[in-house]
Amino acid sequence: MTVQMIFLVFFGGAAVWFGIVVFRTHSMVRSALALLFSQTAVGLMFLVMQAEFLGVLQIMMMATEMSVMAIFMVMFMMDPGGMGAMDMTHQKRLSLWAGGIGLAAALAVIWLADWGPIGTDIPGAAQQTADLGRELLGRSMFIFQSVGLTILTAMVAATMVAIAPAKEQPK
Amino acid sequence: MILELMIALTAGAAMFGTGLYGALSQTNLVMIIMGVELILAAALVNLVAFWRYLHPEEPAAQMFVLIIMAVMAVEMTVGFGIAIARFRSRGSVEMEEARELKG
Repeated sequence: MTVQMIFLVFFGGAAVWFGIVVFRTHSMVRSALALLFSQTAVGLMFLVMQAEFLGVLQIMMMATEMSVMAIFMVMFMMDPGGMGAMDMTHQKRLSLWAGGIGLAAALAVIWLADWGPIGTDIPGAAQQTADLGRELLGRSMFIFQSVGLTILTAMVAATMVAIAPAKEQPK
Repeated sequence: MILELMIALTAGAAMFGTGLYGALSQTNLVMIIMGVELILAAALVNLVAFWRYLHPEEPAAQMFVLIIMAVMAVEMTVGFGIAIARFRSRGSVEMEEARELKG
C-alpha cells in the first residue's frame, strides 16, 4: 500500500464521515462546520492527487462559502443551536433507498468497469497551472467566458429576487 | 486495477449517496442546498481522480473542475436569494410549507 493510497483512504473517509455528520446533528452551526470539514477533506484529497492549484482553490473557496452558509443558517433557522432537537426531515425511507441505490449503482460501475492503463506522466504543479491557464484562455475560452456570464446573471437574479418589493405610494 | 482511482471514486460515490439522501430527506431549504453541495463535491472528486489516474496530460479535465466550482457558487447564490425572498414573504424556509409551488 503506497503512502498516496493511505492518505486517500484517510481524507476520503473524513470527507464521507463529515458529510454524514451534516445530516445527523441537530445543530445547524455544527452542520455547516461539518460540511466545511468535508469540503476541506475533498481539497486535501486533491492535494494528495497532485492537483495542487485545485486543492488550494477548493479549500479557500469552501472556507468562505461555508462561513456564509453558517451565517444564513443562524439567520433563517428556528432552532440554529439544535437545543430543541427538532426533526426537520421527511420521506426518510424513500431518501435512504434513493441514496442507497445511487451509491450501489455508482460502486457497481466503479468496481466492474475496465478503466484502462494508468497515466504516469504527471506534470509538475507549475506546469499544470500554466497548462490550465492556456486551456482557459485558448481552446476552452468560450466555456470559461460563459461561466463568468452565468455567475454574473445569477448574482443579479439572486439580488433581484432577494430585494424587498417596494411599497406603493398612496395617491 | 488502479486501486488509488477506485478509492477516490468510492469516496465520491459515498458522498453522492449521502448528498442525495440529504437533498431528498431535509425539509429546510438551506439543508437541501447542503445536500446538493455534497453531490457536486462528489463530482469534483471524480473529475480530479479521472484527470490524475487516467488522463494527466489533459488540462481540460481540470478546467471542468473550475466549471463545477462555479456551478456550486451559482447554486448557492440562487438558493439563498430564493431563501431570503421566501423568509421575507412567509417567515420560514421550510419546504413543507411551500406546497403552493406545486403546479
